[in-house]
Amino acid sequence: MTHHHKEYDVVIVGAGIAGAIMAKQLGEQGKQVLILEAGTGTDGRFFDQGKEKGYESYMARFFTAMAKIPNAPYPNNPNAPQPLVTDIQKPPLDKPVSDHGYFVQYGPDPFASTYTRSEGGTTLHWLGTCLRMLPEDFELKTRFGRGRDWPISYQDLQPWYEIAEQHIGVSANADVQTYQQIDNPSVQLPFEANYDYPMEQIPQSFLDQYLAKGLQGMQVEIDNQPYPIDVVATPQGRNGMPRGDYRPVGAVGNPDLGQRCAGNSNCVPICPIQAKYSALKTLEQAKNTGNVTIETQAVAYNLEVDHKTQHISKVHYKRYHSTKSAAYDDKTVKGKVVVLAAHAVENAKLLLASNVANSSDQVGRNLMDHPTMLTWGLMPCKIGAFRGPGSTSGIPSLRGGAFRAEQAAFRIEIGNWGWSWPEGAPIATVPELIDEQNLFGPALRHKIAEEYPRMFRFGFLVEQLPDPDNRVTIDDQYRDQLGNYRPVIHYKVTDYTRAGMAQAKEVSDAIFQRLGVEPFTKYKTSDPGYVQYQGKGYVYNGAGHLVGTHLMGDDPKTSVVNREQRSWDHPNLYLVGCGNMPTIATSNPTLTMAALTFWAADNVLNALDQY
Amino acid sequence: MYRLTDFYRLSATLTGYDEVELQGTGVGPTYCKTLSQWVRQDVIQELYHRAEEIGSLECESNQAQFYERIWNCAKLGPVARNIIKMWYLSIWYQLPADWNALYGVDDFSADKQPVEDYVISSNAYIQGLVWNALGSHPMGAKQPGYGTWAFPGQSAKPLNLD
Repeated sequence: MTHHHKEYDVVIVGAGIAGAIMAKQLGEQGKQVLILEAGTGTDGRFFDQGKEKGYESYMARFFTAMAKIPNAPYPNNPNAPQPLVTDIQKPPLDKPVSDHGYFVQYGPDPFASTYTRSEGGTTLHWLGTCLRMLPEDFELKTRFGRGRDWPISYQDLQPWYEIAEQHIGVSANADVQTYQQIDNPSVQLPFEANYDYPMEQIPQSFLDQYLAKGLQGMQVEIDNQPYPIDVVATPQGRNGMPRGDYRPVGAVGNPDLGQRCAGNSNCVPICPIQAKYSALKTLEQAKNTGNVTIETQAVAYNLEVDHKTQHISKVHYKRYHSTKSAAYDDKTVKGKVVVLAAHAVENAKLLLASNVANSSDQVGRNLMDHPTMLTWGLMPCKIGAFRGPGSTSGIPSLRGGAFRAEQAAFRIEIGNWGWSWPEGAPIATVPELIDEQNLFGPALRHKIAEEYPRMFRFGFLVEQLPDPDNRVTIDDQYRDQLGNYRPVIHYKVTDYTRAGMAQAKEVSDAIFQRLGVEPFTKYKTSDPGYVQYQGKGYVYNGAGHLVGTHLMGDDPKTSVVNREQRSWDHPNLYLVGCGNMPTIATSNPTLTMAALTFWAADNVLNALDQY
Repeated sequence: MYRLTDFYRLSATLTGYDEVELQGTGVGPTYCKTLSQWVRQDVIQELYHRAEEIGSLECESNQAQFYERIWNCAKLGPVARNIIKMWYLSIWYQLPADWNALYGVDDFSADKQPVEDYVISSNAYIQGLVWNALGSHPMGAKQPGYGTWAFPGQSAKPLNLD
């Protein structure tokens, strides 16, 4: 099929969650939509259980992968390459790391997060955490003299949060998620009266319950102010028990199993039964409108501008024949409106490659993530590690507060899968029991039975501020096999964030001490994410939360999109995705991005009415 | 010709799971073949014979013999450890280069080791003994059901080490 010069109402670049939401909303209103997806498809997508090319093939790939990293189930594709956590190295001082994987990294610190280039995007391997941002997160500059203010407030976004939560099918209880039970007004969230999530809160793990009991009444002091430590269930884009007549979209397989989380303990990198939300569900709904076409293996590489109107007149893309060769057809397509939904890094790359939307010189800048520090140890008793969803609760009480004038806020995630993240347990740790500790037979079995169920870890998702020098750029030297640019990244973790890491470590130490946890945390200087603060060493990991590369604002001189998420420079160009977010704060960004995208879809519809 | 009976008997000693439990996984024949694929028959036979001569490890003197004649033996120790890892983790790890130089070459093939460590099969991953040993299920398979994670969790059965 060819789309040469065919004109659509809307051309969307990217079939991840933002592109899928946009397509569904527009398709439902009768708009003719084309989605260009750089990666491959899953053939029949969500409902196809075919073992060869469908979703099931991802499972086989996951089971036999040696390194079960987030992208393990999703094949590498040299025509739409993707970053891998196994590629991350500490950038050397004198030259970029250009020979490891997709990113070209100049440092001084490594950017440690990845994403997936495939139909469904990174929601194929997200954890599903659906936290709202705090009201104060939208006003960091005004309240704390740090970062930037958003051009919109929490109140502006609240109705869109509700729409996004209903669509994703979030499992949570609103009376818990207001954080009114936490004795820290900074973190408390106003919810609309009588609002509740579409599905009931997913049961908290035995570990969560153990922690909640053990930490009852605990406080820490920051700047002579007491802050509480409270364990709270986390809202999750994963099927729980539906409220009322709500039914999650397209649960597959046996209705007694797939319609709710069955505890496969594998949300990242892949839920075998699709009980976790992924953009494949929304894409299926978009396709069912009859107005949305999805073209996979189609890498957009240039946006052409009509210099009279400043409209994006054409999208140029390379449609490759297969993942096995670089052969492609060069194609163009027109849209009355063009929406870039290709992920924060890829959006920035495409804008820079096209030299559009960048009168502010802010495209690619302000790249943020949640540098994620881990601590781990052995509980004094078995807490049933390696069971359930990846995380069912967290400690959100330090997400906000006056201390943000001086240091980063952070959210504590409670991990249910033992030491799988920090140590690769059990697969990577059992060989040592055999080879080094000389255990075999009943002694080996006993050691694993007694120790592994006690394994425990925290994750600290630390806030990072927008910094124009943390950026994605392009460079003619670095291209992939289709001739498209590879992202060139400059990145550093500043003292503001490092101070947050140090604070987080202190909180962790206090919790370990209170609970009698035997610490095993090791921050090795050889770790790529090793950083120092006031003489002490810490290690951060990537959270996969890529934010800020085309941020929105009130001023075209200092931002890339306006509050409608439309490019300041091009009247028919909308940008969606986490790239629009001016600050990252402490919530996983997908829910906020989804809410913003529902809003953006409304703006696009209104704009189309004017054509 | 690989000998499945011998393989199960030795595997029981090495893994701490009895032969019935091992057979129940259904992947014993695959592991036995994998072993034959990467280790010379005479080395495997020697391992079976020595294990049989030593007998049950319940008695202390037999344990000492096991360490001396198998676990610490340059030829047989790495093979025994690989068998345990295969059962627990479903992975065939390359044998060390120095082992390979001495024992990995036979009359027909110059190099008898795979180019990298690998997971033996999807099913092998699912049957890995480590998951049962730690009181859970393989991540991504054998799902325990909605909300089960809220309960204290099964503990692997207590073992008597005396």
